[in-house]
Amino acid sequence: MVKVLRTGVYICEAGTGAAGSVDLRMLAEYARELPSVVKVVECECPNPDPVSVGEQIRKDNFDRVVIAADSPGYFKPAFARAMSLAGKSPENVVLASFVGNGAGASGSTERAKAVICCAVSGVPFGLAASQRKKSVHPDTLVIGGGVGGIQAALEIAGAGKKVYMVEKLGTIGGKMAMFDKTFPTLDCSACILTPKMVSVGQNKNITLWTYAEVEGVSGSAGNYTVTVRKRARRVDEAACVSCNACSKTCPGEAPSEFDAGICMRKAIYIPFPQAVPNSFLIDEKACLWVTSGGQKCGTCVKKCAKEAIHLNARDEIVEITVGNIIVATGFQVFDAVKMERYGYGRLPNVITALEYERLTNASGPTGGNIVMKSLKYNKRKKVDEWVFGPDNPKPKNVAIIHCIGSRDHNHNRYCSRVCCMYSLKFAHLVREKLPDANCYEFYIDMRAYGKNYEEFLERVHEEGVHLVRGRTAKVEEADGQMRLKGEDIIGGKVLDFPVDLVILSVGLEPVPESEQLASLLGIARDEDGWYAEKDYNADPTGTERGGIYLAGVCQGPKDIPDTVAQASEVAARVIRSILSDQMQDSRNTLSLADIEDGLRRQE
Amino acid sequence: MAVRANPNLLKQLKRYGADDVTKCFHCGTCSATCPLSQEPFLFPRKSMRYLQMGLGDRLKGNLEPWLCYYCGDCSDQCPREAQPGETMMSMRRWLTAKYDFTGLSMLFYESRTAEVAAIIVVGILSGIGFYLLGALSGGDFGSYPGFIPGHNAEYLTELGWDVKSVVLVMAVFVLGLLGINVLRMWWFTTGSRKDLNVPFDIYMKHILLCPWHFFTQKRYSECDKKKPWVVHIILMLGFVALFAVFLAHMIWQDDTHAHTYLGPLAGVMLVGASSFALSGRLNKTEAHYKYSHHSDMNFLYMCLFVGLTGLAQHIAGRIGCGAFANFMYILHMMGAVPMLLIQLPFTKWAHLVYRPHAMYFAAIQADVIAGREGAKGASAVPHKQSA
Ligand SMILES: Cc1cc2nc3c(=O)[nH]c(=O)nc-3n(C[C@H](O)[C@H](O)[C@H](O)COP(=O)(O)OP(=O)(O)OC[C@H]3O[C@@H](n4cnc5c(N)ncnc54)[C@H](O)[C@@H]3O)c2cc1C
Ligand code: SF4
Ligand code: SF4
Repeated sequence: MVKVLRTGVYICEAGTGAAGSVDLRMLAEYARELPSVVKVVECECPNPDPVSVGEQIRKDNFDRVVIAADSPGYFKPAFARAMSLAGKSPENVVLASFVGNGAGASGSTERAKAVICCAVSGVPFGLAASQRKKSVHPDTLVIGGGVGGIQAALEIAGAGKKVYMVEKLGTIGGKMAMFDKTFPTLDCSACILTPKMVSVGQNKNITLWTYAEVEGVSGSAGNYTVTVRKRARRVDEAACVSCNACSKTCPGEAPSEFDAGICMRKAIYIPFPQAVPNSFLIDEKACLWVTSGGQKCGTCVKKCAKEAIHLNARDEIVEITVGNIIVATGFQVFDAVKMERYGYGRLPNVITALEYERLTNASGPTGGNIVMKSLKYNKRKKVDEWVFGPDNPKPKNVAIIHCIGSRDHNHNRYCSRVCCMYSLKFAHLVREKLPDANCYEFYIDMRAYGKNYEEFLERVHEEGVHLVRGRTAKVEEADGQMRLKGEDIIGGKVLDFPVDLVILSVGLEPVPESEQLASLLGIARDEDGWYAEKDYNADPTGTERGGIYLAGVCQGPKDIPDTVAQASEVAARVIRSILSDQMQDSRNTLSLADIEDGLRRQE
Repeated sequence: MAVRANPNLLKQLKRYGADDVTKCFHCGTCSATCPLSQEPFLFPRKSMRYLQMGLGDRLKGNLEPWLCYYCGDCSDQCPREAQPGETMMSMRRWLTAKYDFTGLSMLFYESRTAEVAAIIVVGILSGIGFYLLGALSGGDFGSYPGFIPGHNAEYLTELGWDVKSVVLVMAVFVLGLLGINVLRMWWFTTGSRKDLNVPFDIYMKHILLCPWHFFTQKRYSECDKKKPWVVHIILMLGFVALFAVFLAHMIWQDDTHAHTYLGPLAGVMLVGASSFALSGRLNKTEAHYKYSHHSDMNFLYMCLFVGLTGLAQHIAGRIGCGAFANFMYILHMMGAVPMLLIQLPFTKWAHLVYRPHAMYFAAIQADVIAGREGAKGASAVPHKQSA
């Protein structure tokens, strides 16, 4: 007969059930009833004393102890020592970790009971808590049409499976479509991305809904029902040939999102010439017809030879069923206005990284000329405005300041990972396009962590960029000349010198709607607001819910190669689940009875 | 000279209030934010570095902590919450302890109990002393200001000299201590530095800076924030007024003018400024009020106490409550004497001497360095790294 191990359960209260989510009294009652449990000890002490615990073990003659706590590993050394003091085997200390098994701060007493039950039976929680397999609907939803979403969609569609892509803006492409070059290879960004975007538009297996949002999600892994609001583009995608006849006479204007706001676009517009879908759309906030309730304007309709414009089109709600959902919603950049001392928003020639990307892009508003803003009279508004123009004067001193909003306890504590490298790319472009200008880069630490990145740093350095250690403190203006004040740490000097153009290397942040989307999808976010992966090491793209995956920056800052790799990985998982027609839902949906059931199956 | 690192320096400085030094990752924001940080004295980042590396000897000869008036801008801007401003403050405490040759300053800074005990003991002793002085000279506790030495006319000639001598001994004691410590400060920061080799005429050239900074605290007014300077100067002028009343009374036996006008004014200034600072510290309203060492609190409590008792004494005397006025007078002295004997030479109040001297020495050093290297303001170009 198998010898029954006399088991003592220690429920360590220190630091456990902090949010009051786990009822420790009920837990103790439950544990007392479990087979082989001799005694349940509620231990309040944050630092249990091995000697007295050892005595108790000896007295009660435990062969085995189970430590139940949020993070019991912390108490293990003391208990192992107590066991050996009592003449028992220290191997027989078993951990029942609430946090590690989904019964942490947000978990429940029921889940904690299940964790203890498994520990007492000696079966790993993961084995007992396995979901029964479910079948999988073969369609997939991709939320977000940046390079991550595009990559995942193409992989899955390439395997012959149907994909729905929902993109919030009027075109897919994400941030990468805005770039001129990519680090460290200095490849032409558009040359890589545009063919992929076009494939998405043409692929029979991909249904692309731009200018659309996910509004509701129900169901469970393998079978989700998703409601999508297709906002009215007011221009028929299929009929529009992008002839541009409509926008020429359109009186409505708004800053161009695609150009990061450094120039204006019309109310009826195409985000950029290579946009996918390659069609115009109407910005209802800027359109006179819409804002006047149909009273004014309407000129575009008359101009359009294809009769593609339907000003009174309405939003459409569609419902789809999918087996898997890939979240690839990317990021937004830090709002530099929050760091007043750098003068963004106040000094015209302090610009952000995305604005610079458009400034230096050959298809951007200045044709790729790196220039300063100058005052120009706006006839319509009858005011002088600071604007970029292709023939504006060129800057002689360009300063690039790293870590704006990143690595800063007053803003985002984390490192945004890509800014050091894109700043080096910027510096390279300054040297290339303005060989006579001085380019200064102010950094705290230079993080060139990727393949060929260190070499890229060396190259840019050799090109004559001044790399200055020190983040600098402020940008001020006196008599029309901007001055930058900072400490040159290696040179041991305080700097106060004239600059003409300041580029702020703003960090990456979660998109504002990520909170809402997370609650729709039922997935968690980490303390910085990025979607939380299921396991940092073992499952960096999965979420707590089965069949919902993360790709790209929405999971945490990363560069394009990492985004693409992650997207392909996610696609492989989705294809596997479809081909095997099997998927496990998240453990979160399991009840105590389910897990006890699972335990019986294992025993 | 070999540079020695002291691995325990950070632990030591913790007792003086520097808690977050290790968080600093040397971004340079603080030194560039500070409006007072100028060549050749770049602070606070460099001092953060010295501390992290344990360069105690370097710090001992460092004038920079005294050049900082703690507006707190650097701490507000620091991306790491490394509290550079508070670190400078802690270094001022630590330097005060280093300058003091008796070791008492170190004791009082490192142990709150020691400082409080010393204040209480000296306070009680002076309470007894001043009571006896009044009583023995035949003063009547019920009559005001008759009880106060110097006022009971009959005994004036007999005892007046004795009171003066007590004051004189105290003054010599305090000034002597501070004098020696200032000399030590000079030696650590300027005198021992062979690379400086300051000619005598440069010492003379800047000598007026000492009184200038003492009275105006001009440098403080150069901070971007002005309010702390105003509070500080009111507190300081309050003390100057109090001191004037005291001198007028002790030396020239003038009671009418000084007492009637200057005394109450000084009291109001002291009470106003110190309670403002105290409530700031208790509620942590501004960066420079966020962290309080026991020496800061003790000092402000004493200022408030001395101010309040002085005012009460004056009012009670005015409305004819003689006994109460005398009682307040004893209490007033029980506060004032420990301030003069403990806090002035050894703890918080010592900055009144060191700070103007630091400005003086700093001007001398800057002058010598500029003379050698050519004057240099903030650099127009960053240094060039060789590729
Ligand atoms: C200035 C700058 C320069 C850079 N340069 C480089 C470089 O040279 N090389 C490099 O490797 N990396 C570079 N990066 C990093 C690069 O931008 C990212 O790695 C990449 O864009 C990540 O792609 P993504 O698809 O995850 O996100 P994104 O490009 O942000 O795409 C996300 C998409 O999702 C959409 N979306 C968001 N929310 C929703 C929603 N709720 N519903 C529907 N759709 C939604 C967005 O509109 C967007 O189209 C740079 C970053 C910046 C800021
Ligand atoms: S109706 Fe709207 S979109 Fe069309 S031209 Fe007028 S403002 Fe522009
Ligand atoms: S601002 Fe903070 S982190 Fe930066 S150098 Fe100063 S103390 Fe260090």
